[in-house]
Amino acid sequence: MTDTRLRVAAVGYLNARPLYEGLDREPASHRVRLDCATPSEVARRVAEDEADIALMPVAAAATIGDLRLVRGCAIGTRGPVRSVVLIGERPIEELGELAVDLSSRTSVVLARLILRARTRGREPRLVGMGPREAIAHVGEGRGALVIGDPALAIEGRFPHTLDLGLAWRELTGLPFVFAAWCGRPGALSADDERLLERAKAAGLERRSLIAADHAGRTGLPAASLEAYLDEAIRYELGDLERRGLERFYEDAAAAGLLPAARVRFYDEDRRAPAAPASLDGLLSRAAEGQRLSAAEGLRLGAEASLFDLGLAADAVRQRRHPEGVVTYIVDRNVNYTNVCTTNCRFCAFYRPLGHPEAWVLSREQLGQKLQEVKDAGGVQILLQGGLHPELRIGWYEDLFRWMKRTYGLGLHALSPEEILHIARLEGLPVRVVLERLRAAGLDSVPGGGAEILVDRVRRVIAKAKCTSEDWLGVMRVAHHMGLRSSATMMYGTVDTATDRVNHLVKLRELQDETGGFTAFFCWDFQHERGTKIEPGENGTVLYLRQQALARVMLDNIDHVGASWVTQGPEVGQVALRFGADDFGSVMFEENVVSSAGTTFCMNADTMESRIRAAGFKATRRNVHYEWLTPPA
Amino acid sequence: MLDAIRTKVEQSERLSFEEGVFLFRHPDVVAVGLLANQVRERLHGDRAYFNRNMRIEVTNVCVASCLFCSFARLEEGSPGAHTMKLEEAWGELEARMDDPPGEVHIVNGLHPGLPFSYYEDLLRGFKRIKPDVHMKCFTAVEIHFFAQHYGMSHREVLERLRAAGLDSLPGGGAEIFHPEVRARISHDKATADEYLEVHRVAHALGVRTNSTMLYGHIETFDHRVDHLLRLRALQDETSGMQAFIPLAFHPDGNEMRNLPAPTAIDALRTVAVSRLLLDNVPHIKAYWVSMTPEVAQIALRFGADDVDGTIVHETIYRAAGSRSPSGLTVDSLVRLIQEAGRIPVERDTLYNVVREHPRASLPEAALKVRDRNARRHLEVLS
Repeated sequence: MTDTRLRVAAVGYLNARPLYEGLDREPASHRVRLDCATPSEVARRVAEDEADIALMPVAAAATIGDLRLVRGCAIGTRGPVRSVVLIGERPIEELGELAVDLSSRTSVVLARLILRARTRGREPRLVGMGPREAIAHVGEGRGALVIGDPALAIEGRFPHTLDLGLAWRELTGLPFVFAAWCGRPGALSADDERLLERAKAAGLERRSLIAADHAGRTGLPAASLEAYLDEAIRYELGDLERRGLERFYEDAAAAGLLPAARVRFYDEDRRAPAAPASLDGLLSRAAEGQRLSAAEGLRLGAEASLFDLGLAADAVRQRRHPEGVVTYIVDRNVNYTNVCTTNCRFCAFYRPLGHPEAWVLSREQLGQKLQEVKDAGGVQILLQGGLHPELRIGWYEDLFRWMKRTYGLGLHALSPEEILHIARLEGLPVRVVLERLRAAGLDSVPGGGAEILVDRVRRVIAKAKCTSEDWLGVMRVAHHMGLRSSATMMYGTVDTATDRVNHLVKLRELQDETGGFTAFFCWDFQHERGTKIEPGENGTVLYLRQQALARVMLDNIDHVGASWVTQGPEVGQVALRFGADDFGSVMFEENVVSSAGTTFCMNADTMESRIRAAGFKATRRNVHYEWLTPPA
Repeated sequence: MLDAIRTKVEQSERLSFEEGVFLFRHPDVVAVGLLANQVRERLHGDRAYFNRNMRIEVTNVCVASCLFCSFARLEEGSPGAHTMKLEEAWGELEARMDDPPGEVHIVNGLHPGLPFSYYEDLLRGFKRIKPDVHMKCFTAVEIHFFAQHYGMSHREVLERLRAAGLDSLPGGGAEIFHPEVRARISHDKATADEYLEVHRVAHALGVRTNSTMLYGHIETFDHRVDHLLRLRALQDETSGMQAFIPLAFHPDGNEMRNLPAPTAIDALRTVAVSRLLLDNVPHIKAYWVSMTPEVAQIALRFGADDVDGTIVHETIYRAAGSRSPSGLTVDSLVRLIQEAGRIPVERDTLYNVVREHPRASLPEAALKVRDRNARRHLEVLS
């Protein structure tokens, strides 16, 4: 029997317990399936339709877009909140650097708005780290944003503390709402809402018990916790709170930190359906480079014409790259092995270890390829393989050192999946693997293997591959170490339009945090001999739409490249007018897509003439998108 | 100037020579395409046409020596030269009678050694096999050659061929009309005036025609606009042209092989400007053989409303290095059009609707494509 209970997700923090505790007890429990998780996971479940309603931070709700709120229930404050604070050894306004727990987007956005207001736009540099690390980081000119239990635990310890609830009140005269029950329009009935209200009423009665329980688990004083739940946190969501939340959304959108969002309650929908925003308005916001929510991206993808999307993407491209230059790189895609253990169903390239067609390139073979690249004026090698179960980190280190010493080419090598594979094989943390590889010559990380960063899709097409979080996690570590990477998307298998938009939003959020992605490339699944999965939504026109949508959604990634290798030189060229400012690589060889039957070739002259024929100047670039030749 | 042009387009006013050149030169091909798309949707809504046709080239022996041609072999008996026996030509249709095409499209070299009766017999034979098949045969250049070679007027040639079964004329042979170009690339066949005169006579006889332009070699944008405006003037006079088909120059194996082939952007721009300048020609064709099926899809949003047909066995572009498949199935054409977000309409040669297919149920382009036997996802006939 299918479970028809309401799927409820909540952040399991102390201040949320009065709202959701009781939902997993009779009489509510037979109508509700409650799960607690981290804020980002809670938001993901609503975005990917794994939860109907979630007690979700308000920044995540704006990012998903077009959600409804439950009137009357929220986690907010009307003054000092105590659990969201900026700390420093010096006055907060004088900080040069701020360590922040980036998993809490709402608090980070709030902190940035407050700091901008207090420093007249001179914001400190943000550095992402965990709470303990962040507190330890505090020193001369360096502060921290501390949230939750750690904030309560350090009360009064630092000479300068800014309570963000109080600061918001002073700035706006309004309450602040940190989290609320949010879900898709129509996901909640009036009965369901009453269920949540009753759970809240019961939870508020139990506040002293909750405080005592939490004190027992954390060692924090029970009286302080009880006062926190009774006085600092307000569980109301009335007109005043609504105005506070609307003000927060307005300010954050104006600062480019969140998509523009409006506050709308379920009961308002029941009285009168919401009027849809105009598509033209959405398109002009897209063309202006404003941040779009996932719901807005989805709507553009479904309703905007090819031209509207193309013109919006071209406008974004033109604003970011007003020089009218399209870049390309002379590099070579070298696969060091075709041995792979993941058995991806969309791949026609890999062979299992011991297969008669399995190979690992010898130094001689590699050397010949690298020499050809040098001779052709190439600047880097894109080195990727399969996941070979017997090649150890030392093999890669030796290889990298030899390549660097002998040929001196840039090394754009090993996608996140391969880095994780090496980490697992060696029992080493990803950071250590990346540091060792960088010491051996690694320059940047290719963004392959992202496919679709939605685990439901990944489980179908590449069961043995890493999860979305793992993939993003490797990139996070690489970026924080100062390694740049590209970002990719392969769509057109079992993915839906929603999955593709969620993929873009996940890349955008990591980019907000790290700024480490240089460029985005997408292509559709190339279905040919040897692949074991049916093609899904794809085609030339969809490719152009998808690339254009990516250009307008990824407002924080500098470059978008056209994938002529998969789409062909003709469509690749047209894609330059649909948001791309890069034409990818001159192709010496490419094994993976070509083993699925797609083979195109272009040399540098042809690439340049196609770029010019599309109305741009052409220039060669390196992996950092720096121009190597004068544009012509 | 683009704003002024936009206003004129919105008010269905005629564009000038200078405006045509401006549009060709305009760097933003999407903006030009958007204008052309407005006109296209005003005329045809979301419909995009195709037909079931087959192409036959009965001879590649040719007295003309066009620089752009990779197909013609000058003399009978030279390597690769081939002239079909009549039975061989008819056999092509007979072999397809289980799923017969509605149109047979025949284009040939200018063969100096065949009797005129060969062509009459050719037409009669096809009509014997399938009396209702539409015979779209012989370009104006061939008609002019027949007139000269067999000592007849254009009118006599056309009347005799029509009596034998000719239904309409294809548009080939136009190349570039302007003498600066035409004298260099195809000096020894029908001139621009002769080409246009054949069409004029055909229209007067009630024979519909198509027209073409071979672009992307040594011509300038001025030459292209001149070409389009000559066609527009003829159409003002006769209204006999059904469709205009821009043909991209392909450089392999011909005397202009040192030139680069025009790119997809040029293909889209040419489709778009043609749609905007030829305000009196009903249809603009994105001929997939010339521009690849993928670019033809995009062209359906840049002014084109037709993708030509199943073709079955094209050899002229193949000889010049085209990477397009030699034929597409009806299913593939339907899908190609659906993917582009248009409504596939199967038509006959005269644009009568044979069958309107459903629009893709999913949003534009988002539909399941299952066959990728070809290099891309379009199914190729064996």
